[in-house]
Amino acid sequence: MTFTSPQKIVLRVLYLKTNKNWSDIISTVEFNHTGELLATGDKGGRVVIFQREPESKNEPYNQGEYNVYSTFQSHEPEFDYLKSLEIEEKINKIKWLPQQNAAHSLLSTNDKTIKLWKVTERDKRPEGYNLKDEEGKLKDLSTVTSLQVPVLKPMDLMVEVTPRRIFANGHTYHVNSISVNSDCETYMSADDLRINLWHLAITDRSFNIVDIKPANMEDLTEVITASEFHPHHCNLFVYSSSKGSLRLCDMRASALCDKHSKLFEEPEDPSNRSFFSEIISSVSDVKFSHSGRYMLTRDYLTVKVWDLNMETKPIETYQVHDYLRSKLCSLYENDCIFDKFECAWNGSDSVIMTGAYNNFFRMFDRNTKRDVTLEASRESSKPRAILKPRRVCVGGKRRKDDISVDSLDFTKKILHTAWHPTENIIAIAATNNLYIFQDKVNSEMH
Amino acid sequence: MLAKGVKRPHGEMEGGDLEPRDPGAAPASSLFNISMVKLHQSLRHVEPNLRHLVLVANTLRRMQDQMQREAGGPMAPDSPEALSVVDSPAPVSDLRDSGLEPCRQPPSDSQGDDLLLSSMDSSISTILEDLGQVEVLSPTRPEEEQPLAGASGARQEPARTSAPCLGPLELLSSASYLLEDGLEDIFEDIDTSMYDCDLWSPTSLSGFKAFSSAEDSDSKALAGAEDRLDMSDLDYLMDVLVGGHAL
Repeated sequence: MTFTSPQKIVLRVLYLKTNKNWSDIISTVEFNHTGELLATGDKGGRVVIFQREPESKNEPYNQGEYNVYSTFQSHEPEFDYLKSLEIEEKINKIKWLPQQNAAHSLLSTNDKTIKLWKVTERDKRPEGYNLKDEEGKLKDLSTVTSLQVPVLKPMDLMVEVTPRRIFANGHTYHVNSISVNSDCETYMSADDLRINLWHLAITDRSFNIVDIKPANMEDLTEVITASEFHPHHCNLFVYSSSKGSLRLCDMRASALCDKHSKLFEEPEDPSNRSFFSEIISSVSDVKFSHSGRYMLTRDYLTVKVWDLNMETKPIETYQVHDYLRSKLCSLYENDCIFDKFECAWNGSDSVIMTGAYNNFFRMFDRNTKRDVTLEASRESSKPRAILKPRRVCVGGKRRKDDISVDSLDFTKKILHTAWHPTENIIAIAATNNLYIFQDKVNSEMH
Repeated sequence: MLAKGVKRPHGEMEGGDLEPRDPGAAPASSLFNISMVKLHQSLRHVEPNLRHLVLVANTLRRMQDQMQREAGGPMAPDSPEALSVVDSPAPVSDLRDSGLEPCRQPPSDSQGDDLLLSSMDSSISTILEDLGQVEVLSPTRPEEEQPLAGASGARQEPARTSAPCLGPLELLSSASYLLEDGLEDIFEDIDTSMYDCDLWSPTSLSGFKAFSSAEDSDSKALAGAEDRLDMSDLDYLMDVLVGGHAL
């Protein structure tokens, strides 16, 4: 991908997917390991999987559109009679398992229960049974005069999704993250105060590997906000906290990883100190780079790149929407300050992306230090239209098409974004719309 | 913050008067009030959003520290452990008298503060009562409930540095939500055959609706089970049913 200095970042709308029946807010977006499949979860507990069509030489513009592959109801609303409350069916996270055979598998979770789903294709069916007729009814044996060998005949592709495992009762608090280990046998799930390690084949047991619940709940001052396994080292994982710290833990050190191996924390900037310092430092997402060397974190106003070898401060800090710094009071009042934005790396770890308000999302090129603001909206996203960079002006000179800070729509937030593992294709969830954009210039990584 | 000549669009986010350049210089008392309201709203949920709750509580703590620092010296941190869910009005007026800028407010606001604080007292008491009902089976903590009821406006001593923030979290500690370890003991003597009934399956929401429409026949079944169930358990179950039917 060439986001180098002479060239501006240009993104073309490859495929704009809006489903009118999709009345629910998208709550998570995730590409699988090859990028062929894209899964989305929504507030209604549904999962929709998109599959990329193979590129057709005859239609060069149809460079691999994503079409609906399968839709299924992952979680249903549950009622906890004991506590007299409803457990939301909203899908908080989806993670794909690395593909090990013809089937695809994914984990999906709501606040309490994680489920393993297997996605299989069926495009042939056996015909010519001896004892059953075409509809499956038993034949009258007297009519059977000869034996035939059933043959497989092609049929219309059918995608079947079945629940293979249900990992329930592992969490008292709300699950905010799941992460599949590189060993492909275990995964972890994190809630506000605890992290559990599961084996993918065992549902009635999990191991608690982090527990930050204080003996007295009145001493509670910090919660876990996100966690992830290292992409290559199956013993390492990181978890972030509401106080803005990251803890890297080594499962070889002890069974309960309450003592971190490394603590990544940036000291508070005294010049920017306010009542809201802690809230805006709360990390809403943490992602390892594909290389495994860096971590990306998102807090309310910035994205930061951390080097695993340096705990004292991030190596890079990018301002997502610093113009909001003077509006923190209002954002606190209307609860926007608690919004949890996600962040993403591109395949080569050279560009990072995160969402913002007004359906804007931001991209930062780590090499050139250029950044761009783009918008995911129906008006600006006609198919194959090139996305125009947007600008937020903070008073002073105002160019045409600039948006002033006070005109930003804070109800239109882009919390969930995903980047294809190898190509410059991104998926942006804007409330109940899913946008898929592709880089016009080059679709392969350099 | 508006560009010259640009009108603020109608329906824009509120808080125009809370937009100083430095958020720290906003009227601390109104921020304090807002935070208390948020805490209160958070606690209304049976399962509060812990992250939200903790962040608001910590912010309140910061404000408290700030207000007390500006009042001149930190307060004694080792006052008795009794709950004081809300700050008494007294410290606020003390600060006002000393004429500190961030806390300066028109006299009418003190009335608002008192009203808010006392209404919060009663709300918190109500919440505790509700929690107590829900947790008919969990051990009660009378020593926590008593000071709570008596906290409204009665305290004249300076507030502890973390007083208003600890209270809600102490409430949390008595919530069954967090008592997962004690739950098994609680149910030892309860006949669970009632819970084995399909209609009671938590995964079947439609089953729950069917139950509530067939109340008559099933209330007879309940009556039969009375002998085995404790009366308070029955009350709780009926509350759930009635509550569900009303939904």
